[in-house]
Amino acid sequence: MAGVELDELTRYYKRGNEVIRALDGVTVTIKPGEFVAVVGRSGSGKTTMLDLIGLLLRPTGGKLVIDGVDTGKLSDSERAHMRAITVGFVFQEYNLLPTLNVVENVMMPLRYVRGHKDGSTRAHDLLDKVGLSDRLKHRPSELSGGQQQRVAIARSMINRPSIILLDEPTGAVDTETADQLVGLLKQINREDGVTIVVVSHDLDLAAQAGRRIRLKDGKVIADEAGVVSGASV
Amino acid sequence: MEVFRNITRRKLRSSLTILGIVIGVLALTTMGSMAENFNALLDGGVKYFGSSIQVGPPDGQLAPLIPISKINDIKQVPGVEAAFAGYGFLAKPGQVSIINFGPPDEVIATDPAENSWGNLRLSVALGHYLTSTPGEVVLGSSIDQEFNKKIGDTIDLPVRPADAKPDFVNHTYTVVGILDKTRTAPDGFAYINLLDGQTLLKDSLPVAIRDSVDVSQITQNIDVYGKPGTSLSDLDKLADLINQQVGGVKATRPSVFVNGFKQGGALFTAITEAAALLALVIGGLSVVNTMFMSVAERVREIGLKKAVGATTMNVMSEFLIEATVIGVIGGVIGWGLGALITIAGNAATPPGQPTLFLLDVNITVLAIGFATVLGAVAGILPAWRAARLDPVAALRNE
Repeated sequence: MAGVELDELTRYYKRGNEVIRALDGVTVTIKPGEFVAVVGRSGSGKTTMLDLIGLLLRPTGGKLVIDGVDTGKLSDSERAHMRAITVGFVFQEYNLLPTLNVVENVMMPLRYVRGHKDGSTRAHDLLDKVGLSDRLKHRPSELSGGQQQRVAIARSMINRPSIILLDEPTGAVDTETADQLVGLLKQINREDGVTIVVVSHDLDLAAQAGRRIRLKDGKVIADEAGVVSGASV
Repeated sequence: MEVFRNITRRKLRSSLTILGIVIGVLALTTMGSMAENFNALLDGGVKYFGSSIQVGPPDGQLAPLIPISKINDIKQVPGVEAAFAGYGFLAKPGQVSIINFGPPDEVIATDPAENSWGNLRLSVALGHYLTSTPGEVVLGSSIDQEFNKKIGDTIDLPVRPADAKPDFVNHTYTVVGILDKTRTAPDGFAYINLLDGQTLLKDSLPVAIRDSVDVSQITQNIDVYGKPGTSLSDLDKLADLINQQVGGVKATRPSVFVNGFKQGGALFTAITEAAALLALVIGGLSVVNTMFMSVAERVREIGLKKAVGATTMNVMSEFLIEATVIGVIGGVIGWGLGALITIAGNAATPPGQPTLFLLDVNITVLAIGFATVLGAVAGILPAWRAARLDPVAALRNE
């Protein structure tokens, strides 16, 4: 299982002459199999941290190690390969491809990985796990928001990643569906041992994570385990 | 499959884009076939005139006649291997043809032995080639088609015009052979014996001098051959040598004819294919536009693909394949429609008239290949833009 180490990780942006410190020297270690919620106000650096861990962004400074690999030394194609096999993504807006049906959407990441086997079987198993085995040939437009997010979760697991990164996964669904999705994530975390890092404003979701990392102005201001209720994020 | 689904995602836009390519390829196919047909016609001229030396009367002589004894003089010139007399007459005198895509139909009187010289060899589809027997005719494919003759039938040549004067003379010949199609001048020719040619020559002379001329001693032109395989430049030198050593005749350098044919062919090809390529390039620009629109609409999709492991090359190749498929679809449809037009156009050509189109493998490969390459090239810039998108910005694109 993967471990993630952020060592004085920084990411700065330039906006005109102004330097925006989106992430400002964050040092965090996420152990394999943890369920971590990253919380904070808008602009606190949550999404930047997720994008850095997901290798979508290169840090301005510091070090990011995933599965013992110093990602700063990887080429663009090596980073793409690591994104394909080590990391799974789930987004608030699902980002399913409208021209593909459910099974095809789940299998889509396989096309960027060589030598995969039994992709179809794996996709069917995952869709069964997320409760969508009766929607295999449906197009995304024929599914509810919660169902689309389940497809996105199944897609994130197709390459058996060690980390799943979720960006506001319950932001576009109702409360009941959000609860179901959280339950599904906990099940995946528990049964498959996958490390889950979720960025969310959803207090209920954050409360059910095993660990909460609170960010403010790009810095970690709290890193706490256990149940949090009524916390202002 | 996903490529086709993406193309059909915006049906009207994709259809219009493909239509642009279709029009371009249609133009390329039809105009290219026309140029190919014309070039085949000229190629026959290059083969014939590029392997023989045409000897006629000297400049300034009004009557196109030369003593047949000049053949022996010419044969004395070093390098000359063979020389043949020849006569040519309009097969359909009095016919007015404002637009004719090819040489006029002619009755050619020739020595049967000449067919074994030169690069343009005539082969017989039915019957046999000319012999020394008078009264026989071998018909080219289109003139045979026009008069619908079979072996053993007779034909009156030259063909009597509808408004012929009472003293118009022609003769009846028996069809002994029908030539294979050459796509060039011989298709419209009727070949007769030299003796019969001399008879026609006599008929063509003014009545006042007709009986005082011994036509067996004159010819209209002499075809001269060097050793088989003699180069064009050596034939030019041989023509110069004939002019130096034989008086009362003029040998024309073969390169004069060959260059004329080639220039004519190149000009025609350039005009027709440039017009068609212009249409195709305009179609290509519509592919560029469509692919840019497609990239703009699918920014989040591109971001997602990068997030799940697609490399820059993966994304680029996906869009390139899509643009290429648009080119292929447009190319195949355009070629198909062009082929139908060329087939219908040729079928509608009156019997005996040269057809207008020659749709061959060259044009097929050019049309579909160019459309495919055009699609791919047109897709490069949009695909590059897609591949270079920042995945973070792309994923959160509204």
